[in-house]
Amino acid sequence: MNNYLLSIENLSVDYITDTEPVRAVNNISFGIHTGEIFGLVGESGSGKSTVVQAMMRILPPPGLISNGSVRINGEDILSASESNVKKFRWKQISIVMQSALNALNPVLSIREQISDVLKTHKDLVGIDAETRAKELLSLVDIDEDRLNSHPHQLSGGMKQRVVIAIALAIMPPIIIMDEPTTALDVIVEREILAKIIELRKKLNFTILFITHDLNLLLEFADRLAIMKNGRIVEIDDVENIKQGGQHSYTRKLIGSIPSASGSRQEGLLSKPDSLDFPTTPLIEIKNLRKTFQSPGLFNKNKLTAVDDISFKISEGEIVGLVGESGSGKSTIAKLVTRLIRPTSGTIYLNGENKQVTEARNVPLEYRKIVQMVFQDPFGSLNSIHTVYHHLSRPLLRHRLKSKDELFDYIIKMLETVGLSPGEKFADKFPHEMSGGERQRVAIARALSLKPQIIIADEPTSMLDVSIRMDILEIFARMRKENNLTILFITHDLASARYLADRIIVLKNGSIVEEGPSEDLIQSPSNEYTKQLVNAASPGWLETIHKNSDNKEIIDA
Amino acid sequence: MNSRTQNSNIFRRWFDGILSNKKALIGTYIILFFIFIAIIGPFFIQSPTEFLGTPLTPPSTKNLFGTNGQGQDVFAQTISGARQTLFVGFTTGILVVIIGALIGGIAGFYGGRIDDILSLIINIFLVMPGLPLMVILASWLPPGPGTLLGVLVLTGWAWNARVIRSQMMTFRNRDFVSAAIVSGEKNIRIILVEIMPRMLSLLASSFIGASIYAIGAQVGLEFLGLGDISTVTWGTNLYWASNDLALLTESWWTFVPTGLSIALVSFSLTLINFGIDEVTNPRLISERLWREKIPRNLIKDGVTPVLKNNE
Repeated sequence: MNNYLLSIENLSVDYITDTEPVRAVNNISFGIHTGEIFGLVGESGSGKSTVVQAMMRILPPPGLISNGSVRINGEDILSASESNVKKFRWKQISIVMQSALNALNPVLSIREQISDVLKTHKDLVGIDAETRAKELLSLVDIDEDRLNSHPHQLSGGMKQRVVIAIALAIMPPIIIMDEPTTALDVIVEREILAKIIELRKKLNFTILFITHDLNLLLEFADRLAIMKNGRIVEIDDVENIKQGGQHSYTRKLIGSIPSASGSRQEGLLSKPDSLDFPTTPLIEIKNLRKTFQSPGLFNKNKLTAVDDISFKISEGEIVGLVGESGSGKSTIAKLVTRLIRPTSGTIYLNGENKQVTEARNVPLEYRKIVQMVFQDPFGSLNSIHTVYHHLSRPLLRHRLKSKDELFDYIIKMLETVGLSPGEKFADKFPHEMSGGERQRVAIARALSLKPQIIIADEPTSMLDVSIRMDILEIFARMRKENNLTILFITHDLASARYLADRIIVLKNGSIVEEGPSEDLIQSPSNEYTKQLVNAASPGWLETIHKNSDNKEIIDA
Repeated sequence: MNSRTQNSNIFRRWFDGILSNKKALIGTYIILFFIFIAIIGPFFIQSPTEFLGTPLTPPSTKNLFGTNGQGQDVFAQTISGARQTLFVGFTTGILVVIIGALIGGIAGFYGGRIDDILSLIINIFLVMPGLPLMVILASWLPPGPGTLLGVLVLTGWAWNARVIRSQMMTFRNRDFVSAAIVSGEKNIRIILVEIMPRMLSLLASSFIGASIYAIGAQVGLEFLGLGDISTVTWGTNLYWASNDLALLTESWWTFVPTGLSIALVSFSLTLINFGIDEVTNPRLISERLWREKIPRNLIKDGVTPVLKNNE
């Protein structure tokens, strides 16, 4: 066991509460060899971030390490005194935090943030620190002029690269990466990962990579540990896990990954009987435009979020609207649901030239026809009201059900979305349910009015991977059973192609490409779509990774 | 079944929280004691304005708190003064919160032109110097509790409206509000049923803050002689004590009982405010909690404590 660079044995971490302590990490052990990329995968609440924080001993109370050891080159961090712990941090082991936005101090320049680390840990000041800082930035492909920039002047990807540069500042043998790409767009994410792989090749450090995204790790990790409820359920070489793994949970995780390559997985989702849709559209959006005026009397800055968008959706069709953050896709959702008013353009409903964009107050009838499912199930339900309240209000408002029928109908709706027995859920408050259960309630609320069209704004992106498929399945089934029309908004091309019949690709508020899902993914014509498809295809990173290994052999 | 269980649930959570919080509990006991005295006290005491003979006699068994410069019973004055002082104080608190919630809530929820106009009004009231305005209004209008109430509400509502407006603006863009709009809910119902209960802690502490302010300002105005000096309140008690040169004659009993009562009421309200803070923001309690449960020698700055190391 001694040949591990980093070894963790029987680590247990508790959180002190007013009653019993909660065990977040339960007796886990693993070891990482020098030069390895070790992946730690787990869904939210599995304890993976707690492991990392405990390893560095940066977990603040009420966190308490109740047992275990963490050895780097045989030295135990957990038995080290307060001042000795500081010798481990950054010199032996450094960390790339989840959100670059929070990891960087907004009021300090990049230069100050890098030299801060150099001064604290290496006593490097003045011209030496300056040189080193420039070196570090060039390592991560950032121009050295950027030393004077403040974080808000950098893009998300650049910020993440600066954080990586800071982690590399004094070349620790081990770098922990805690979800380094989660907040980034797909294309940028791939760039960052490619950079990490390249740097590892060049500088030869060991990586502990923490993520919820098993898909990602399968492509470039050497070994994997899968965590669930504070325990490691499986730990194995990545090749073995790719074959399906031993544990049922591993298999469930692997099975829940939609893929953008190969043929569309037929039969997995409830398919409608025919994919020929009526030619008259249910909803038609024409020349829609939305500009946001910056606040202030004399401020003339305008931001065009949606620029001249037109598309049609037929009854029973599922259309995927794919775009990165800032592409205007959520603005379109708000425009179509009339949460905000368009600057210009019209929305026609039911082909009868009904201009719903004109009225200041949206007619109640429109609210019944067009419903929305929000991204964040933690935010879209009001924490002080029960499930019953959330489902009964729309029904009472639209006078669809009398008080006597209400309860039975709501129970039925809950069971339709997979919350059974419905009686058990009706009286629950949002905080008593898991994220997936909440999202089901939100879907049930949208469905309860029997709308004709549902706008689903990233309905799965805040959920754990293992339940995303189930949620997509509900949408597919609703379409099959009720001929429901769905506008499915997502940043994830793979899941859009999985659910949608047609995909619209959005960039900077304009449509760049539009077509049947299969055609668009197999043969994208637009350059941007090609990039997106590339980034969503598995094996993309693997190639880079393999290539870098090959070079190593050639070099050797 | 729905609306009742929900309300009882929020209030029960609060109630349980307050009961289990030492600060809030002590504060509640003190304030309930004063409210109790204010309501039933005046029925059991002799008239506070009756002339009893020897002025400025120190406390004795006959006159528990002694007599004042007019030969009136200080004990009776302290107790009957509670009624009007607390009534004006709490009524001002309620009115300030209602007006603040109404104006601030509407401004924050609707935004745009409506917000511009209402914000302008709020800002005007905010920059008006409160104390001089209070003094001028109180001396110009006919004295009495109604005048005091009006003056206090007029000078006190704007700050609350401002706070509630900004809170409303953050709620306005939450998904659960958008979801309610999409389901066709009326705006007024969204404000009252969906958003306002979420602001309960803000409204409660606004009420308590406004009540403390109202009691203080009211006593101050009356002390300056700007109230109705023929009524018996804590403020007029102090006014008369000062007029009868209580400090020069060293008759401390004429002002200490009243002053102490005012201090105790403000203290208890502040305690309740702390309690509400802790009940609605569990983070404030959690530190005290883990410090009790983790062995002290393990707690060090910036390093996670380790209970047992398996060497």
